[in-house]
Amino acid sequence: MKRVILTRLAWTLGILLGVSFVAFVLMRALPGDFAIAATGAQSVAPEVLEGIRRQLGLDRPLIEQYVIWLGKALTGDFGVSFVTRQPVAGTVFDRFIVTFQLALIAAIMSIVMGSITGLASARLRGATDWIVRMVNGVMLAVPNYIVATLIVLLVGLYFPQFAILGYTPFLSDPVGNIAGLLLPALALSLAVSVTVSENIRAAVLEVANQDFVMVARAKGLRRGAVLRDYLIRNALTPVVTATGLKVAALLGGSILVETIFAIPGMGQYLYESINSRDYPVIQAIILLTAAIVVLVNMLVDIAYARIDARVRL
Amino acid sequence: MLETEMSETVMSETGPLLRVRDLHAEIGDPRAPVHALRGVSFDILRGEAVGFVGESGSGKSVTARAVMRLAPEGAKVRLRGSVDFAGRDLLQLDESEMLDIRGRRIAMVFQDPMTSLNPVMTVGAQIDDIIRRHMNLSAREARARSVELLGLVGIQDPARRADDYPHQFSGGMRQRVLIAIAISCDPDLLIADEPTTALDVTVQAQILRLLLRLRDERGMSLMLITHDFGVVAGMVETVNVMYRGRIVETGRVDAVFAAPAHDYTRRLLAATPRLHRSGQAA
Repeated sequence: MKRVILTRLAWTLGILLGVSFVAFVLMRALPGDFAIAATGAQSVAPEVLEGIRRQLGLDRPLIEQYVIWLGKALTGDFGVSFVTRQPVAGTVFDRFIVTFQLALIAAIMSIVMGSITGLASARLRGATDWIVRMVNGVMLAVPNYIVATLIVLLVGLYFPQFAILGYTPFLSDPVGNIAGLLLPALALSLAVSVTVSENIRAAVLEVANQDFVMVARAKGLRRGAVLRDYLIRNALTPVVTATGLKVAALLGGSILVETIFAIPGMGQYLYESINSRDYPVIQAIILLTAAIVVLVNMLVDIAYARIDARVRL
Repeated sequence: MLETEMSETVMSETGPLLRVRDLHAEIGDPRAPVHALRGVSFDILRGEAVGFVGESGSGKSVTARAVMRLAPEGAKVRLRGSVDFAGRDLLQLDESEMLDIRGRRIAMVFQDPMTSLNPVMTVGAQIDDIIRRHMNLSAREARARSVELLGLVGIQDPARRADDYPHQFSGGMRQRVLIAIAISCDPDLLIADEPTTALDVTVQAQILRLLLRLRDERGMSLMLITHDFGVVAGMVETVNVMYRGRIVETGRVDAVFAAPAHDYTRRLLAATPRLHRSGQAA
């Protein structure tokens, strides 16, 4: 297993290299560049724009720019934001902490909601199943930014005493920090909980028809024990995979939900940076997101092997 | 030899251990039900081995499941008649009372050992859980009993093998594990539903011998369900031939073989492939 993890990590480096190159090229393929975005107008003299580009090294050939960036990145130097002139690593890390908190709360909410509705749907069938599936269908169809907008509107309208927007740092006010993240986390979690719910439902229904469940019932085991040790433990593998992918996506940050709730997370930062063509920041965020996806996938595989002894890593 | 503990109710009862009378089973939609059983009646005496023979769909497995009040997930099965087990009509018990009977007083061995064990639990844990459910034992005591049972059904090095997962066992070995699970709480009645159908011929004989030996040692009653007359021949005292949800012939196994009274039994016997002309059933 150790060897597998090391091999995986080596692979990760290759993946990150590829991702960083593609991101680098694509960003520069976008119309406009930092010089234009920063000065904001066409009326600026071309010499001024050239000056900015030269200063930032944007006038050099693309490959040269990439190699310079890569050389520094390998030593842990992700450069300086064009906009803030702050080191990228520090600012992105601060933003990531915010997104991480939000993703964590959203993931917990989705797993709790999804498990309850999925299990109820599969075990109770009938009307419960029907209602859960209908609600799931609606929640899956409605994009999270609409949910977020509705939450902001409705809560703002009927509970004006709650501060909905903005972010309170954990260290200054832990309770306010978590309370402030609950609504955006809810907006993010609805669609994810549908994935969890539908996967649990399908997996439990499939496992329920397996012979070993009949054997468990023939043993006289109580319903709870059959559910826990026979149904859920066997249904867990597909659920872990689907949930892992969704959680990875959450960790990448949500541009829309973070923007709507004015949360200074990584998604919002990425959005700002793309607008201002702040290449070093974009590059760092994309790299971090890719690293998270690969890491979460590895954790999912390890969890897999833990749940099911037939899986060999 | 392990002692067989019989509860007081059983000791005080006389007559057959299991007395099934006019058992009907309807499956599925009440408006258009499938009549899987159409008035089945039979007795199983204490310590007796009774065979149930018939083609697929004749109602053998439904009978076995009806005795345990088990139905496949999601299936709607309505039972009528009476299933008197040690003086109580099982059809009148509520589900929680049935939970104390299943696995403890009546246990079952299923057809396909490849799919009957939970793939994510060690085999030891799968014997521990039934033992701890029905007997007041600590985890350590339950495991000791599980290991003893694994040894009893012929698993080599049982203490080590108890920590292995089902996929590390062959089909025959898995069926032995399932038999260990079934006999773990000293049931009064062991139902074996086609216990050898999914196994190689050589392994079939071993499993049948094991079942017979356990019945003799423990004084259990055995309800052996099979489509194979050859399996029944050397195993049971009484045989019930089932056809289309009814028992069409019943009697001492040698008598039925020698002079089948019912036309269906004759056809079923004639359908048994034989290696020698005389056949093992003669």
